[in-house]
Amino acid sequence: MPELILKPGTLKELWLLPPAPGGSRKYLAGGTDLVSGSNAGMDASQVWVDISDIKELKGIRETKNSLIIGSGVKISELSGSGLISRWLPALRSAIPHFASPSLRNMATIGGNAATASPCADGVCALCAERADVWLELGGKKRKIALQNFFSGPKKTVLRRDELITAFEVPKWKHAGVYLKLGPRAYFGIAKASVAVALELDGEKVRSASITLASVSPVPLMAVKTANYLKGRVLNYDNARTAAALVKTEVSPITDARSEAAYRREMSGVLLERALNSVILTGRMSQVAG
Amino acid sequence: MKKENARLKAVNGIFEICLGINGVKKSFSVKNTEFLLDALRRHGYKSVKKGCDTGDCGSCTVIFNGKPALACLIPAFTAHGSEITTIEGLGTVQNPHPLQEAFVEAGAVQCGFCIPGMILSSKHLLDANPEPSEEEIRKYLDGNLCRCTGYVKQIQAVRMAAKRIKNGEKRFRGKAS
Ligand SMILES: Cc1cc2nc3c(=O)[nH]c(=O)nc-3n(C[C@H](O)[C@H](O)[C@H](O)COP(=O)(O)OP(=O)(O)OC[C@H]3O[C@@H](n4cnc5c(N)ncnc54)[C@H](O)[C@@H]3O)c2cc1C
Ligand code: FES
Ligand code: FES
Repeated sequence: MPELILKPGTLKELWLLPPAPGGSRKYLAGGTDLVSGSNAGMDASQVWVDISDIKELKGIRETKNSLIIGSGVKISELSGSGLISRWLPALRSAIPHFASPSLRNMATIGGNAATASPCADGVCALCAERADVWLELGGKKRKIALQNFFSGPKKTVLRRDELITAFEVPKWKHAGVYLKLGPRAYFGIAKASVAVALELDGEKVRSASITLASVSPVPLMAVKTANYLKGRVLNYDNARTAAALVKTEVSPITDARSEAAYRREMSGVLLERALNSVILTGRMSQVAG
Repeated sequence: MKKENARLKAVNGIFEICLGINGVKKSFSVKNTEFLLDALRRHGYKSVKKGCDTGDCGSCTVIFNGKPALACLIPAFTAHGSEITTIEGLGTVQNPHPLQEAFVEAGAVQCGFCIPGMILSSKHLLDANPEPSEEEIRKYLDGNLCRCTGYVKQIQAVRMAAKRIKNGEKRFRGKAS
């Protein structure tokens, strides 16, 4: 825990802060990961920069072709947003699976990405929604595909003191769903999760994005499975074949929460259920383009 | 309360913070390693319970700047400038809140450890949604674990309170706030 807390109100103020003595500064957003990590002795930084008041990191807005979600947006704000409901069905469907209502009032979507946990729900759904992430350091901005942001468990491509400012998610016509298998129906760390976003053309899949969490070191884009579905009719048989295929793409481990073989099997089960639910409901609920 | 904490520096590891608790202005000296849960308990707000200290049980729930949050995950110094409601701010024995009445009447309280958090979460739910369905109540209380009573009577209590608030009924002495 730090000796000095700095709380800038704007990005300009942030980039004017002096460098932290003896190492990097630590950003504090909702604190739900940082604080428990720091308590466990995993953070030795002397200076914390509380970014929760920075106004540029807040809010969800729309451009002609995309939604911009500020990194400081709380998970509970996502669930109340009409724009998210309208455009990002996989993300919308992930929210009830994210921790508990009070944690959703604290946790931010930016913190969910920066933590780079293989089981993070918010970013798994955002990857399937084909999000990019905006990063900024000293006023210099760069944008990368969110799926390329993670370099390993708890590792990202963030440079020292670099900040996630926003996620940019394209507006595209698709159906989406998120399913998570945990120790109980809600509020638990996942054994496996899947996010599916499907662009449909009548009965056919025009394009698909499938992301899985907790079954590989980083959120896994199941590219082979998505390519298999592309151009095919979305029906129960093809959903079953896709489920078999996805089991060859995941690389789960055995840990305190589950076993590798079970996770692999469940990746298929979850994907099949997700695709079946789109067959049953998704065609009707495909967002308006 | 105005947020003026552009910079907070610990002197010998101690931060001086100001915050509003149950509508009253307070100043606390808190250690840089201390959490809001411990700071509140140290200052007499013993209703805020420590069940797990890891964000899992919900017994430390307080209303933090208008929304339920977990005091065990909030570094105390970040509460500078915030407004907090604990169950002490909700009602008294003579003049309980309808939720407090209903929890007692429904038999929802056994050891009572989870109840302050459960009632604060329920209050926030009813403020936003005065007539929640059973499913909505269940989902909303998802992060408030109870090891004694189970999860039936609390749900009944919230429904009972919702009805009474709507009808303006009061059972105990005094006026419900
Ligand atoms: C009990 C419990 C249950 C949980 N359940 C779930 C769950 O079901 N699903 C799930 O996905 N997660 C879960 N989490 C994890 C956590 O709540 C999320 O990862 C959350 O989104 C983190 O956001 P935060 O704002 O709290 O981040 P913080 O704790 O503030 O920060 C986390 C890390 O990210 C860095 N950081 C934060 N914001 C930025 C930024 N803008 N730019 C650069 N770096 C930044 C911080 O320096 C820190 O290293 C749970 C946590 C707890 C304690
Ligand atoms: S003590 Fe805070 S959630 Fe358990
Ligand atoms: S009444 Fe004992 S924990 Fe809920």
